[in-house]
Amino acid sequence: MIARAGAGPRALPGWVWRWGALLAALALWEAAGQATAGRFLIAGPSEIADYLWTNAGLVGRALAVTLQAATAGFLLGNLAAMALACVALLVPRMAWLISALALLVFCLPLVATGPILRVLYGAGTGPQITLAALAVYYTTYLPLLVGLRAAPASWFDLVHTYGQGRMAELLRIRIHAAVPYLVSGLQIAAPAAFLGAMVGEFTGAERGMGVLTIRAIGALDVPGTWALATVASGVSIMSYLALGALGRRLGTHPRDLLLAPPQATRRPPAARRALGRLGRAVGLIIVVLLLWQGLMEGFGLNPFFAKRPADVWAFLVTVPEAAANRALLLGAFAQTMVLAVPGYLAGLALGAMLAAGVVLVPGLGAAVLPVAIALRSVPIVTTAPLLVLALGRGATGTITIVAVMIFFPTLVACLTGLRQTPGQVMDLFATYAAPRRQRLLLAQVPAMLPAFFAAARMAVPAALLAATTAEWLATGIGMGSLMALTASTSSYAMLWAAIVLLASTAMLAYAGVELLERRVLRVYASEQRQP
Amino acid sequence: MPLITTSRRRFLALGAAGLSASAFGLRAAQAQSAVALQLSWLHSVQFGGSYIAQSKGYWRDLGLEVALNPGGPNAPVEPPVVSGQALVGISAADYTAAAVANGAPFRIIGVAMQKNPFAIASLPGNPVNSPADLVGKKIGMALANTPVLQALCTLNGVDITQIEIVPTQYDAAPLVSGQVDCLLCWQTDLPVAMTMQGVDNMTMLMADHGYALHSQTYIATTDALANRRADLVALMKGEIMGWQDYEADTAAAAQLTVDMFPDAGLDLATQVLQAERQAPLMFSDLTRANGFGWFTDETVAANIETLALLGRSVTPDLWDRSLLEEAHAA
Repeated sequence: MIARAGAGPRALPGWVWRWGALLAALALWEAAGQATAGRFLIAGPSEIADYLWTNAGLVGRALAVTLQAATAGFLLGNLAAMALACVALLVPRMAWLISALALLVFCLPLVATGPILRVLYGAGTGPQITLAALAVYYTTYLPLLVGLRAAPASWFDLVHTYGQGRMAELLRIRIHAAVPYLVSGLQIAAPAAFLGAMVGEFTGAERGMGVLTIRAIGALDVPGTWALATVASGVSIMSYLALGALGRRLGTHPRDLLLAPPQATRRPPAARRALGRLGRAVGLIIVVLLLWQGLMEGFGLNPFFAKRPADVWAFLVTVPEAAANRALLLGAFAQTMVLAVPGYLAGLALGAMLAAGVVLVPGLGAAVLPVAIALRSVPIVTTAPLLVLALGRGATGTITIVAVMIFFPTLVACLTGLRQTPGQVMDLFATYAAPRRQRLLLAQVPAMLPAFFAAARMAVPAALLAATTAEWLATGIGMGSLMALTASTSSYAMLWAAIVLLASTAMLAYAGVELLERRVLRVYASEQRQP
Repeated sequence: MPLITTSRRRFLALGAAGLSASAFGLRAAQAQSAVALQLSWLHSVQFGGSYIAQSKGYWRDLGLEVALNPGGPNAPVEPPVVSGQALVGISAADYTAAAVANGAPFRIIGVAMQKNPFAIASLPGNPVNSPADLVGKKIGMALANTPVLQALCTLNGVDITQIEIVPTQYDAAPLVSGQVDCLLCWQTDLPVAMTMQGVDNMTMLMADHGYALHSQTYIATTDALANRRADLVALMKGEIMGWQDYEADTAAAAQLTVDMFPDAGLDLATQVLQAERQAPLMFSDLTRANGFGWFTDETVAANIETLALLGRSVTPDLWDRSLLEEAHAA
């Protein structure tokens, strides 16, 4: 790539930024490792390379095991997502229920689902694969559902002219329209699958990257811990890049947004809408309770650990210790939320601002994106303890972990949104020679909002996952610790109560963001509201 | 594990043969009964005796095919035993008491660790040699273990409010990097890790200061005790034989562990040291007189007292020595 003449000092070629940033980061890292030598905190690149060289066979075998489970989970999870999206589309009446159940399962905390899966599967890689699948299916399902609808109405008219129905719509239009969305969903899914497989190993496995990580942390083997984290992130980054390249190969750049006049559909009166919402919420609760009870009975799960809805109700409401149980649960919940909410907001703000920065300063993207991908790809199970060690056990550590987990998907989504600004709008601004900042604020930011809100919704479960994982593995407070603790106290009613509380919180927060989204988009981006 | 995969062929070849020939050191002739032993942590020399039983075919000769299911930081131990997936689990008296309080029908049928492995680890520059030294110190531990510290304080007349508890992960780094003055951990893992990394350290074993609590206990359900007695006795017999060998040569047990689990990332020198440090917790005058895994009314009574300090009230029938007696007699 050759720098274009006269483009000014800012327009350095991308590779200068990229390699410069990479080298600077490596140098800083090595310096930090040298400076803290003997404190068992940071291993620099040279120590990591040395560890990998000496233990190449061991790490290679572990990687193969974990990668295999992650890949299987990735495939299964994404196939499930595609199937769910197609069903939701073909049976529109069921779409809300499918989406709600899909979200609910995605909101179940890993700390709690892991051991339950282990009991269900027994020995083997079942939990690893299932957790990997659970970690990915929702981040594919949601964009896919949007993508399957992202085709101009005229195309559907054409299909209908030929007397074809929904199936033909799906096969001839929607699937093609959805490919770019699918690819971006898969990109986010790849690191998540690896994390799911590693957490699965924590439930009892003989080999794999998760097993080696636990061992390295316990053995105070800092180079080992960092080397394993590096390998895990390297794999995640490569899968992210490979999927992106595959997307480009397929020629699937997300299309420009479709400009369409605001739909003049008459909205039912507010009271009826509220009633409809309430009805759905009640319906969802009934379905969930029936599924919960039914699945446990169906699988014949022992009530010692597989608590039914009535057990949780008794634990929180009717037994003599109910008040104490509630106090313990809510106390831990407050500890978690105090950290999860600021981390969530900080992550969203950071993601959106970086995206804006990347648009304003063209070279910045080349420098920021690889670092962002790397940060996001390091499995949280290895970063959480390291970050807490580096930033302290106070609020900062956990908030940072939450923000790190969230900012990358937000950044990617916002960048896509910014770049999708309709050409006609940008042409208009260009005609008036509007400055870059004005273009950003008046044209691109409104175009970004739908993507931003989609990211903000997805970030809700991610924030809770990050906060509880940090609490479980590093800080030892809050819901994450409470859930992990139930294994030693056999207080499985507490575990299920915690699951209910966390999942309900995630669902409500998700619905809250959705409500805000509708309000904002009605004003700022009425032409691109998703159907 | 290739050691347990040949059962089918053996089943076909030997299934028709009659009497057990194990007394003569020959392989058992009856059909292999498949059971699982749920371990409480990842594979390591912590379970060295079980690996010896496995590799030397002690269980095989008793007609048992044992799967050793590893545990982990997020692994359930009691649920698989309750649900019958594992015949026996490796628990600890406090965990077992909690499970029983929550409705699990468990009995403790053997005690691998006579002395509880919990210890306070510190650095020589700022040592904790006795519970009184804890006053004014920052201790790194999982908050979940607060009752353990409370019990130690009560037993030794120390005011727990004079100790600052810092919630940490199970990791020696906070101590080494100076974030805390001491750690509540097992005698056999984090201190061993520090020693191996060249960090001089010292430990105060809580069992030496009144904290009497059986650890690495074998648990089974009352249902299994009633209906699968022969399997349970065979399992315990294999364990006894394996751990006898372990006591005789801990280094060999460490070597076997590393050989059996080449993908577990185990370091031989670390395993050797851990195996050595673990032995005094498992073997005592009591076990030398009565055999591995033994417990008496007195040790049970001491456990019940410690459990009461931990907020658990149990009766002596939580312990059942009959299987152990049969296994040692057989």
